[in-house]
Amino acid sequence: MKKFDPTVIAETRYIAAFVAVLSLLMEGVFLVLGKWDYTVLLGNLLTGSVSILNFFLLGVTVTKAMTKDEKDMGSFMKLSKTYRSLMILAVAGIGLGFKCFNDVAVILPLFFPQVGIYARGLKLRNSNVVSEGGEQDAV
Amino acid sequence: MLEIAIGIMLCGCALGAGIAMIAGIGPGIGEGNAVAKACEAIGRQPESKSAVTSTLIMGCALAETTGLYALVIALLLILLAPGRFVDVLMNAVG
Repeated sequence: MKKFDPTVIAETRYIAAFVAVLSLLMEGVFLVLGKWDYTVLLGNLLTGSVSILNFFLLGVTVTKAMTKDEKDMGSFMKLSKTYRSLMILAVAGIGLGFKCFNDVAVILPLFFPQVGIYARGLKLRNSNVVSEGGEQDAV
Repeated sequence: MLEIAIGIMLCGCALGAGIAMIAGIGPGIGEGNAVAKACEAIGRQPESKSAVTSTLIMGCALAETTGLYALVIALLLILLAPGRFVDVLMNAVG
């Protein structure tokens, strides 16, 4: 089995957990609004898993690109971006094209990883502020 | 006349989707530059490889957001908008 960078696996695990939590939240909102049916679940599963896969492939690409020459790095990243965009395009196209997937449940999970990253940034910023405050108190 | 109006509408949707996808160029270039700079940083401080890689992956994922927005807008314009617009036009004509 191919070995992946532990950093990539750790970050993907964090993003997967965040996508799962946000997916549950979205399902809950649909339930509360009374618009939940199996199409919401199917759409959520389809693009939720693809958004996690996209993040994992991004991590693998980044770690691979770091081993390449500086000239090849840019083109390697662009190529990876193109392939991943095509993957998302195909999956979202299937989700929007077939009636067995809810349109909103197909689109929203694509942005869950980014929400997770923003939330992590906010958390880190808050913890830095707290630690700086603690250091100042200690001084 | 109605056929021409529908044709113009579909043409507008396709053009809009194409123009939206221009936003996909930026993240690819930005990610390439970010990886190059990260390599320089790791070259200077090899012990910080894990932290740099982690920040780089998160940064690249954030940089991709604009491309993803463009992709979703293009998809909506191609797959959903034409049907809705044609419905609106048909209702208006009666």
